[in-house]
Amino acid sequence: MRAWARGHPWLADGLLAAALLVVTAPQLAAGQASAAARGAFTVLAVLLAATLVPRRRYPVAAFTVAAVIGAAQILFGVQNGSGPPVFALQPNNADLVILVLLYTLAAYRPRPVSIAGLVVCLIGSAVAIARWSPAHGTHPTGALFGAAAGLGGLTLTAWVLGDSVAYRYRRVYYASLEERAARAEAERDAQARIAAAAERARELQERRARAVDESAARLRRIERDLHDGAQVRLAALAMTLGEIKENLEQSAADHRTLGLVGAAHQNAKDTLAELRDLARGIHPPVLDRGLGPALGILAGTSAIPVALTVAITQRPSPAIEAIAYFCAAELLANVTKHSGASRVTIGVSEPASGLTLTVTDDGDGGARLVAGGGLAGLLERVQTVDGRLEIDSPPGGPTIVTIELPRHA
Amino acid sequence: MTAIPERLRIVIAEDAAIMRDGLTQTLTRRGHDVVAAVADADALRQAVDEHVPDVAIIDVRMPPTHTDEGLRAAQAIHRERPGVGVLVFSQYIETQSATELLAAAPAGVGYLLKDRVADVSDFIDAITRVAHGGTVLDPEVVRQLLTASRRGDTLAALTPREREVLSLIAQGRSNAAIAAALFISPKVVEKHVANIFDKLGLAPDDNDNRRVIAALRYLES
Repeated sequence: MRAWARGHPWLADGLLAAALLVVTAPQLAAGQASAAARGAFTVLAVLLAATLVPRRRYPVAAFTVAAVIGAAQILFGVQNGSGPPVFALQPNNADLVILVLLYTLAAYRPRPVSIAGLVVCLIGSAVAIARWSPAHGTHPTGALFGAAAGLGGLTLTAWVLGDSVAYRYRRVYYASLEERAARAEAERDAQARIAAAAERARELQERRARAVDESAARLRRIERDLHDGAQVRLAALAMTLGEIKENLEQSAADHRTLGLVGAAHQNAKDTLAELRDLARGIHPPVLDRGLGPALGILAGTSAIPVALTVAITQRPSPAIEAIAYFCAAELLANVTKHSGASRVTIGVSEPASGLTLTVTDDGDGGARLVAGGGLAGLLERVQTVDGRLEIDSPPGGPTIVTIELPRHA
Repeated sequence: MTAIPERLRIVIAEDAAIMRDGLTQTLTRRGHDVVAAVADADALRQAVDEHVPDVAIIDVRMPPTHTDEGLRAAQAIHRERPGVGVLVFSQYIETQSATELLAAAPAGVGYLLKDRVADVSDFIDAITRVAHGGTVLDPEVVRQLLTASRRGDTLAALTPREREVLSLIAQGRSNAAIAAALFISPKVVEKHVANIFDKLGLAPDDNDNRRVIAALRYLES
C-alpha cells in the first residue's frame, strides 16, 4: 500500500483529496444559505482539498494556499461581534488538509521552512480558538484549554511525524551519498588499475617486439660474422691444403704425409659444407633480398614441384620475414617427408592485418598438432609475434596450413 | 688439364681480405697475372674497365648491402664486355641466381660454390674455361636442378650413366672433358649424348654452351 502510494503519488493524493471532499459534503448539506454561497463554499472546499494533489512536488505553495484559505476562514467564517459569519468561509472538514500539508512540509522541506509552517499553524490555532470562544458565549475555561490542547497537539503531532520522516529520509540520503562516494572511489581505483595494466601490457608488447627484432638482427649478424670470419678462413685453409696436396702429389712425397694432408683437406671441405648448412639455418642470407627471392630458392630446391605465388607490395619487418621463411621451409620439409604429395602450393599475400602464408599440398592429409612436434614448434614461433596458425588436414587430404602474421613484431 | 698453362689476366672482387689474398697468391703461384684485387662492386667495375682482363672472379656478397652486388656487377660486365669472362662464386647455392646468370648468354660465364677453391686445379680449370668463353655451372646447382625438375618421369628413363653425362653437360663440360672425367672414350660420350638428347626430345647440338642452355631450360621447365 505504501509502496503503491509512493509509486503513484499523484493518484494517492488525489484519492485522499476526494475522501476529504466526501466527508465535507454533509456540512454543505447541513448549512442554510443561498445557492451562490453554497457554490462559493464548494469551490473553496475543492480548492482546499486540491492542494493535496501537488503537495509532494510543491509543498510550500500548497501549504501557503491552504493557510491563506484557513486564515480567511478564521477571520470571516466565525461569528463574532462585527457581523454574521460568511457561509462560504465557515471552517469545515477540508481544513484537515492543513495538517497534512504541515506534515508534508516537515517531511520534504528543510527544518527552518517546516518550523515556519508550524508557527503559522499554532498562531492560526490560537487565533481560531480565541475568535471561536466569544461566538459561543460561555464556555468553561477547561473546554477552552481542551480545544487549545487538541488543536495544538494535532498540529505538533503532524509536524513531529513529518519531521521524523524527514530525519529518516535524510539518514537514508546520507547513507546513500556515502555509499555512492565509496562506489565512485572503488570505481576510480579499478579504472586506475585497468589503466596501469593496459599500460604495462603495451610496455611488455613493445619490449617483446624489440626483443623479437633484436633477436632476428642478432641471428643475421651471427650469420654474417660466420660468413666473413670462420667460413672465409676455412675456405682459405682448404685452398691452402688443396694446394699442398697437389704439390705433394707432383713431388712424389711419401704416402703417409700425402694421406694425412688429403684427410685434412677433405675434413676442411666437409666442415665448410657443415658450416654452410649451419649458417643457412641461422639466417638464410637470401632473406636479405626479401621473402620472394628466399621462397623462390626454397621452391627451386624442393623435391616436390612447388607453385609459388608471392603477392606483397611492401616488405614486412626482417623478423616477420624470417618467421614466414622458416615456417614455409619447415612445412615444405614436412610435406616432402610425410604427406606423399605430388604438388605443393605456397602462397604469400598481404591482407590489411599483415601477412598470410598458405602452404597447400595434395597429400594424404591427417596432419595435426602434436606436443613437441614440428607444427607445435611452428605455432610457438608464430605466437611470439601474436600470429595465428591454422591446420586443415582431413584424412585423405588435401592439407592446408595457414599462417597469419603481423607486418611488424 | 692444359698441358702448358697460359698466363691469364685476372681481376678478383672479394671483400674478405684473407680470401682475396689467398686467391691472389695461389693464382700467381700457378702462373697467372692478378691485375687487380678489389673489395667491392664499384672498384670491380673500374678495374675491369681499366684492365679489361680475361676473367673476373666475383664474390656474390659484397659491401654495402652484402646481398647480391657481385651478381649484378657480373651481369652488367657480361652484358657490356662480352669478351671478359665472369666467374661468380657464392657461399650458398642459389639455383635461381645461377640459372638467371647463365640464361641470357652462357658464353664466358661461371657460377661456383666458394668451397670449390679447395680443389685448386679444378678451380683454375674452371677459370680457364670461363676465360675462353666456356660455361661453368657448379655440380651442386646441377644436382638441385635435377632433383627439383618437374621432368622426373622423363629423367627416370635415363640410365645412371646417362644421368651422369647429363649432369656434366649441364656443368658446361665438353665431350672431351666428360670422357676424361668418366674414364671413357669420346666416342662413347658422343653416343651417350645422342641418346640423352633423343630421350629428352631435344635437338642435338655440338656447341657446348648452347647445349648447357638446352639442358638447363629442359630441367627448369
